[in-house]
Parts: sequence; C-alpha cells; structure tokens
Amino acid sequence: MREFDGYNPISIFIYFAAAAILPMFFLHPLTAALMLSGGVGFFFSVGGWKSVKSNLFFMFLALAGAFINPLFNHNGATVLFVLNDNPVTLEAFWYGLASSALIIGGIFWFRAFSKIMTSDKLLYLLGTFSPKIALIISMALRYIPLFAVQAEKTSDAQKALGLAGDGSVPERLKSGIRVFSVMVTWTLENGIVTADSMEARGYGSGKRTFFSVYRFHRRDYLLVGTTAALFAVFAFCLASGAFEFSFYPYTDALNADWRLLAGTAAYGLLAFLPVIIKGGEAVKWRYLRSEI
Amino acid sequence: MIVIKNASLRKFLKIAVPFVLIPGCIALGVFVFDEKRYAFVSLAVTVLALLLFAAGFEQKKTGTRRLVIVAVMVALSVAGRFIPLFKPITAITVITAVYLGGEAGFLVGALSAVISNFFFGQGPWTPFQMFAWGMIGLAAGFLSGGLKKSRWLLVAYGAAAGVVYSMIMDVWTVVWYGGGFYAGLYLSAIVSAAPYTLLYAVSNAVFLALLAKPFGEKLERVKIKYGI
Repeated sequence: MREFDGYNPISIFIYFAAAAILPMFFLHPLTAALMLSGGVGFFFSVGGWKSVKSNLFFMFLALAGAFINPLFNHNGATVLFVLNDNPVTLEAFWYGLASSALIIGGIFWFRAFSKIMTSDKLLYLLGTFSPKIALIISMALRYIPLFAVQAEKTSDAQKALGLAGDGSVPERLKSGIRVFSVMVTWTLENGIVTADSMEARGYGSGKRTFFSVYRFHRRDYLLVGTTAALFAVFAFCLASGAFEFSFYPYTDALNADWRLLAGTAAYGLLAFLPVIIKGGEAVKWRYLRSEI
Repeated sequence: MIVIKNASLRKFLKIAVPFVLIPGCIALGVFVFDEKRYAFVSLAVTVLALLLFAAGFEQKKTGTRRLVIVAVMVALSVAGRFIPLFKPITAITVITAVYLGGEAGFLVGALSAVISNFFFGQGPWTPFQMFAWGMIGLAAGFLSGGLKKSRWLLVAYGAAAGVVYSMIMDVWTVVWYGGGFYAGLYLSAIVSAAPYTLLYAVSNAVFLALLAKPFGEKLERVKIKYGI
C-alpha cells in the first residue's frame, strides 16, 4: 500500500509548493477555509488521529487571532462596541478569523510536509541544489549520535582513572566540563581524519554523483500532472480577478461567479489530494482483501 | 538528479533566480496581492536569501577539511541544544565565526537551526531562526579582529546577539500571528518575551566567557596543525 510519503521527494515538493504557497499571498475566505481544512486533513492523514489532542493549542491560536485583530485594527463600518475610545468592528473580526485560518493552515501544511520529508528525503532534494551543504548536513547528522557514544566512552575512562570526583555538584560539573573538552578535541581531530580519508578516496577531484533510492515512477508523473492541471485552473481564475475580496469597510458577500466556483473547486481538489489518495488506497486495499 | 545539463547555465540560474525573485516577491506583495500579506512575503524573502547564500557558497572552492570542521561544529552546537534552557548554539556560532570566518559562522548558525529542528519540530519559523543565527555568525566574522583580542567585547557581543535574536523572532511572532506589523503588538511581544531575552543574553555571555578560550585554543591548534 503506497501512501503519500511513498512518492518521489521532488514530486512531493512540487505538490507542496503548488498547494500551500500561492493561497498564502491573498486573503479570500473560501481559499482560507480550504487551506486550513486541507492542511489539517493532510496532517492527520500522515500522523493519524492520535495527533489531534497535541494540536488543540493551534486550534486555540486560530480562535485567538480572530479576537486579537479587532483590538489593534479599527477599520470597518459595523461597530460592535467601543473599548477605550477605540471602535471594535465586525469586519475586523471577520478579517482576523480568515487571516488566522490561513496562518494556522500554513502551519499544518508545514508540519505535514516535515513529517513526510524526513532528513534523507530533504538531503536528496537539497543535493540537487547544493551538494556541499547537503554533505555538511548529513555529516553533522552522523556526528550527533557518534558524539553521544564517544562521550559515554570518555566519561567511563575518566571514572576508571578516578577523575570523576566524589559525586558532589561542583565536582560533577568539573568532570562534565573536562569530558566536554576532551570531546571537542576528539571530534575536531576525528573530523580531520575523516576529511583526509575523503580526499584519499577522491572527494573533490571531480563531479560528485549521488546514490539515491528514489525513482520517478508512473504515479509521480500522475501526481505532478494532476497538480499542474489543478494549479493552472486555480491560477487562471486567480489571475482573472475572481478571488478579489474586500473586508473593509463592509465585508463582501460571496457571489456565485463561475470563475470563482471553478477556481475554488480546483483548489479544493488540490488541497485534499493527499486525503483523496489515502482514501483511494484504503478502498483499494479493502477491495483486494475482499477478493481473497 | 540534475535536470539542467549545462553547468554554467545551472550556476547562473542558482544565483540569478533568488536575486530576481527577492525584489519580485516584495513587489508582488506590495502591488499585486492584498497589502497585509507581510507574513508570507517575509517568509518567501527569507527563504530566498538563504538560497542565495547557499548558491554563493556552492560556487566557492572550499577545502574538504574546512567543510568537515563546519559539520563538526554544527553537530556540537546541536548536541548542546539538548541542555535545558541554556542553548550554546549562539556561543559556538560566534566562536566558529571568530576563528574560521564569517561564512563558516553563517553556516554553523543556520544549519544548527535547521538540524536541531529535526528534533524539536520544523515549522515556518525555521527559516527565520536560520537567518537570525546565520546573521549573528556572519556579523561576528566581520568583527572577528576585535572579538579575538578582547574577551569582554566577545561576552558583550554574545549578550547583544541574544537580544537581537529574540527581537528578530518577535518580529516573526507579530507578523505571523498578528497578521501585520503593529508597533503596539511588537512592543507587547518584546515585553512578554523579556525573561527569555534575558535568559538568552545571560546564557550566551556565560557560554562565551567559559568556552571562548579553550574552544578558541583548540580551533587555533587544529588550524595551525592541519593548515585549514
């Protein structure tokens, strides 16, 4: 069973860029709502329903945004009440609600994306752009556990030498600092040895090639193609001005223009693509099992 | 996977694309889209600035040893972020910048942010953290002459860097959650973050005071011994 994280990192990145970036640059209640619900759906389809509880905080922030905006922003014609000589308006409330939906939606998209884009996939993506920085990151990631192992060994050696002290706080701190100091020297020297070994094997002598387990499968073409088509419809409707919406002085009513409907439908499909893929796979799985 | 085969064209695109897109993004935010989209325009510009730096770094010839030492320093500062409350990332970034130059400092600051966020959680704030820590390193590289000579100056720089870091991240908080930049909201964010700002400043100063000399000696030794 292939889920969304089984796709090639490049096609995942293209999808993410198409679905999450453009809607952030303008404010329309329909796209804001779709982006938030799509992002939440994406996140939970990746993380499972267990993650709901830990994200109540973000839901709360979304609500708080709606109440913060009217306190600082006094545009709008419908005055609800007056606070400290400043009018608090209904329009500012709507604006705050829509804009925080977009912001919290953005956070959910990011979180879903970083759950799928594990460090190896990110390195694969970055390696195409900057192999040197990708190398530094992968080496640093390798050094962190190595560092922990070596710190343990050093501290054991210190204990065996009787340098660990009598267990009082200043003594423990002192031996901790000594271990850290030893570690720094060791890591620097080890780094030099690694670098020499890399050069001996020809690093930097020519073009660097990468090993990667990722291939561009048929489903990747399908995903990129679908994304591009939906994005094109959405971008066309956006460029035609169908998504213009003003909150001040009066909040616009939504009119049923065909371009608005088409753009919203296209973006809705785009935003819910991961959920649809996951749902489709689940149905297929059930069907296959029922055949047995 | 390399899509564009021509190497010089690839080089040109890497530099030119962010260079054109940064002002383009700002213009787009101001003229085309709703005037209040500060959060996303600033996010896009930050990401592009980081890409521009990466592209510039890619063009230069960097020795393998230097590359590995940067990776080691990143690993050290990430490992240090697990200490509760006190974070040595700034201190290690500044020390690297002073002894190995501003570019190495920028890399250590920015990469420590992104790598430690693999453990602490990525989000839209990652590029801002990368940028803030990277700039602290870059600036320390420019001031390295003075910072190397006077230990008091180094400690003062660390404290100032803590304050600046906190203020940059407050801009992020206000622009992101407030929906726009309001002076009142920014002021209240600074005030409510004051205990953390103080903690950053003090811990940076303490770490620099403690680590600068031994760390500097070790780096200096490796530099002389292996000719980095």
